[in-house]
Amino acid sequence: MSSVASWEAEYLRSKESNATSAPSFSHRGLSAPLEDDLLIPDVQLGEPLPEETPLEQLTRHWMNERHAPDILPAQDVLLGSILDHIRRQSDTIQLLRGDPSTSEEEHIRIMLAQTEVERVQFVVRSYVRTRLYKIEKYARYIIANEDVQTRITTAERDFASRHANIMDRHFYSSVLQSLPESQAGLDDTPHFIMPPMVTEPETTRAVFAHALKRTIARTPEGKTIDLPKGSLTLLSYAAVADLVAAGEVELV
Amino acid sequence: MSLPHTLRASVTPPELELIACQQLVDIVPLIAMEKTAFISGAYGPLRPPHKARIPLWMAVTLKQKKKCHILAPEWLTVEYLQLKLTQETTQAEFTKLPFRFAELSRVMLDVASDDLQNPDKLRSLLQDLREARQAKARAGLENLEHSALGLSNLSAMEINEIRPFFIEAMAILGRLQPGA
Amino acid sequence: MDDYFSIDAILAENQRVGCRFKIDIADMGHLGGGGERDITRSNTLQLPIWLVYTVVLSDWADMIMPPAFGSKVRNALKADPCSVRLSGLVGAGGLWYVFGKTIMEILDKKQEMSDLLTNTFRKRLVQVIDQAQHFNALGPAGGVGPGGDSAQSFREGLDGTERELFALAQEGAKRMKRWYEESDRGRR
Repeated sequence: MSSVASWEAEYLRSKESNATSAPSFSHRGLSAPLEDDLLIPDVQLGEPLPEETPLEQLTRHWMNERHAPDILPAQDVLLGSILDHIRRQSDTIQLLRGDPSTSEEEHIRIMLAQTEVERVQFVVRSYVRTRLYKIEKYARYIIANEDVQTRITTAERDFASRHANIMDRHFYSSVLQSLPESQAGLDDTPHFIMPPMVTEPETTRAVFAHALKRTIARTPEGKTIDLPKGSLTLLSYAAVADLVAAGEVELV
Repeated sequence: MSLPHTLRASVTPPELELIACQQLVDIVPLIAMEKTAFISGAYGPLRPPHKARIPLWMAVTLKQKKKCHILAPEWLTVEYLQLKLTQETTQAEFTKLPFRFAELSRVMLDVASDDLQNPDKLRSLLQDLREARQAKARAGLENLEHSALGLSNLSAMEINEIRPFFIEAMAILGRLQPGA
Repeated sequence: MDDYFSIDAILAENQRVGCRFKIDIADMGHLGGGGERDITRSNTLQLPIWLVYTVVLSDWADMIMPPAFGSKVRNALKADPCSVRLSGLVGAGGLWYVFGKTIMEILDKKQEMSDLLTNTFRKRLVQVIDQAQHFNALGPAGGVGPGGDSAQSFREGLDGTERELFALAQEGAKRMKRWYEESDRGRR
């Protein structure tokens, strides 16, 4: 019964903080905790566009992350609130499911709620995995770059440094230890047109930018490109990186 | 591996379908349901035979249990698509269609063809549109520069199909610039 | 650009380019792959491209323009970019554009080389994609694409970079086809 207890505590908390009541899972009074999540306006302050629900925000960040060559700012507050929501919805489903008096109509409602939970979980997993993929790929770059570190969570930073460490040890034990010391570095400065040894995000790579409002992109060469609202442009990620972070442009 | 290889450069059609299925459609419910809070929002009440607006994924689930009819959006009709096909083949730019029309129409034709008028004709019109637009997108490659290319009115699924080679081709053009 | 551990980038650097030496270098004849002991002034050696940077930038030798970018090829490309078999110029799987870019970096007149590469790439690109999408429509057994022999000859003449784009376009078209053909069975 611990889930019910915690649920009730939350129920009371939400009642205090939020007097407005929206329709919800109305069944035998188990309804209220779900409603306030619909009413939380801005999870990431100043960031969301008007009328975007938390799930829509997460979907946008998920697609942005999939398309952007660089690692985008972590959305841990938003992600946390959606994970909480999934957990609460799952708890409610469990409670209702365990009740033998549940009607057929209620069964359909439970099934719909369960279907949605799975959909949302898919988005969450794919979003997190996309970030992990980039963090693995650019681990060495991340641990040496403070700017990127501001964009990732503490857990992701730990993961990056552990990953970089494991790779270094692997390279060392399999090859580097047999080379002369001067040849055994993993971050030598590149010469001629050699690419740098530490793999960096290719921020000039092109993306499909969908302008959510009229805005102006600036290419790395300093050229400006007008992006009318609703327009779709294929251009360098570097030209829209700031606009993506500000939510003025989404990657599609 | 944190992300399978096929997902690194692009998004899969089923993923786009998942996103599209969040869009709202009109249905005629065959069961009643109180207004209910879901993670994505509150939907209902469902009261047969009154129309209701719910996400497509929910409509699909109900439809498969024979608990609703899905009402075709105004753009998923023979007349409308015929008009769009004419525009598509007579003008240079892409005609405007809903951003996720490919996903939405496919899902609706898949699970609710009995709710749509003349589904076979709809399918063939959509196929013709797809081919006309694909040829246009390909022609757009001739204008590809290393800096920017406007592709307004291209839909989500079309972008996804051309994405890998448009991006790669642009990257190559960038590398072929002196001093790049 | 390719990252440090890119196998393709490493392989592309194995292309050999003729260099005419301006100085004598003792005991280094083996670099050209021949039996000579020393490099002597006005010797021409075929050196791997990664070594060419060093000898040209240090002004020890002049690079001789490789035939793959010589006037004969340039004229043919100007007349009809799609009729030239780039793979024949750099060997099967060879990377004509990557090779060209590398040469460009060594040249003083970079723009001319850049224009040649860019125009060739752009003019052939539409046909590369067109064929990839149609080739796919014929299914895996469709050996001869539209246009028959000339299309097949064009496909065989693609360089490694174009081949990769061809594969990307083909993969995308296949994925779309699969999605369109999936039935609703298994859909929840």
